[in-house]
Amino acid sequence: MRLVVKHSPYRYRDFSLVAAEASLAARDQGKFHEMHVLLLSRSPKLDRESLIACAKELKLDVPRFTKDLDTMAHKKEIDRDLKLAEGLDLYTTPTLFINGIKVTGDRPFESYQEVIDRELKLSGAGGTKK
Amino acid sequence: MRRRPALPDFLIALLSAVALLCAVPASGMPPAPLPPPPSPQGNPTTPEKAELGKKLFFDRRLSGDGTMNCATCHDPESGYADGLGISLSYPTTKNWRNSPGLINAAYRKTLFWDGRSSSLEEQALFPMMSPFEMNRNLDYVEEVLKTVPEYVEAFRKIFGGEITRQRVAMAIAAFERTVVSRDTPLDRYLRGEKDALTARQRAGYELFAGKAGCAACHGGENLTDERFHNLGVPEDPKAKEDPRVLATARFVGKVSGFPDYRTLAEDPGRFLVTKTPGDWKAFVTPPLREVALTPPYMHNGSLKTLEDVIDFFDRGGGEDPKKSPLLKPLGLSKEEKEALKEFLAGGLSGKVTAFTAPRVP
Repeated sequence: MRLVVKHSPYRYRDFSLVAAEASLAARDQGKFHEMHVLLLSRSPKLDRESLIACAKELKLDVPRFTKDLDTMAHKKEIDRDLKLAEGLDLYTTPTLFINGIKVTGDRPFESYQEVIDRELKLSGAGGTKK
Repeated sequence: MRRRPALPDFLIALLSAVALLCAVPASGMPPAPLPPPPSPQGNPTTPEKAELGKKLFFDRRLSGDGTMNCATCHDPESGYADGLGISLSYPTTKNWRNSPGLINAAYRKTLFWDGRSSSLEEQALFPMMSPFEMNRNLDYVEEVLKTVPEYVEAFRKIFGGEITRQRVAMAIAAFERTVVSRDTPLDRYLRGEKDALTARQRAGYELFAGKAGCAACHGGENLTDERFHNLGVPEDPKAKEDPRVLATARFVGKVSGFPDYRTLAEDPGRFLVTKTPGDWKAFVTPPLREVALTPPYMHNGSLKTLEDVIDFFDRGGGEDPKKSPLLKPLGLSKEEKEALKEFLAGGLSGKVTAFTAPRVP
């Protein structure tokens, strides 16, 4: 199974864009998933200082992380994802495509599990990507 | 301890039969085939108006932040609902009720789970204004739409005048009246096609109209009595932990004139509209054609599958002591439950009006 994350920061939330930047800055240091989980648990307290505290907590190279944050080093990448989302008429976060099946909105864990299990079953041994 | 004398077998059988009869609620209107959708005199449906309504239905300009349209929560791919227990919400807020499917909404006498609208025209503006749905100011949306020449021209041609919120709602209502399913196996069966239902679906239908008592409320042409019942559907305890849900509940209580809105922690349902104590936690009986397309079920989406719904009614509904007296344990066997499920899933699934995505200007 492969998980691809695209960014679609909500334009009217103060820290949405900078939090996306923080996750990518953490990715460059090998800790995207850890940062992603941390950010979700800390939301909406995601101001600059809180994000730097997260980087410390994950034992990242904090000066490098802070520089990325302050210069918005990954803005192009985030803008590219935003454009992709708009092109696909996607405005709800999260929107997941599980083997091509669109699943919109924040749902309980079992809801995703059901689709994943069904798709795994349908694809049979070895799996079939759609 | 004194032993209770054993009852003779014939008496047990007799008492069981009486208990079973008592479990069958009084019958409402019998199910009937669905006629063509109405086209109200004040807002006759025309193809041009319905097409305009479809564009508006998919237009994100109708939401405050431009991220939501009607189809966000009424997605044609999900039976014109959104597949969630609690409907999608305006960003940073939380809704508190399930998004009802729109198939056959044309026939409804009241709209919303609490029936606060009596027409699709009236209904369409509520979610646009609602802070936890589309959060759009209606004066503003009129002006926004007037900046789109294609809309200006379409409204002029169709309504003979400028864009107003009422005409926006009329166009959306006209589109919604085209979303219909009236060729289900049940419709064909009721029109005299005896083989339209499979044997199992037929057995399910007989339970639906008989022992299971479903038709007491889900009767008539649109399989709803258009009335409000407290089924004792449990609240989701987690919902109360979310301050956004509490804010929504209290906001709705406040604008509905509920004096204790500051402490409102559950959904009073129809009571908020009528203020009649008997309507506390009562919600409208939804129509059932294409019901398999719109899980989960109930006003708060707390029942995930049709099997869960059947089990719920088989138990006699929820625990609320004030629930409807129509609800009694049904004593359905496993086979009967399966037949009922077959009827609900297969016997009520037909051909929904074909959908093609509009080109929003």
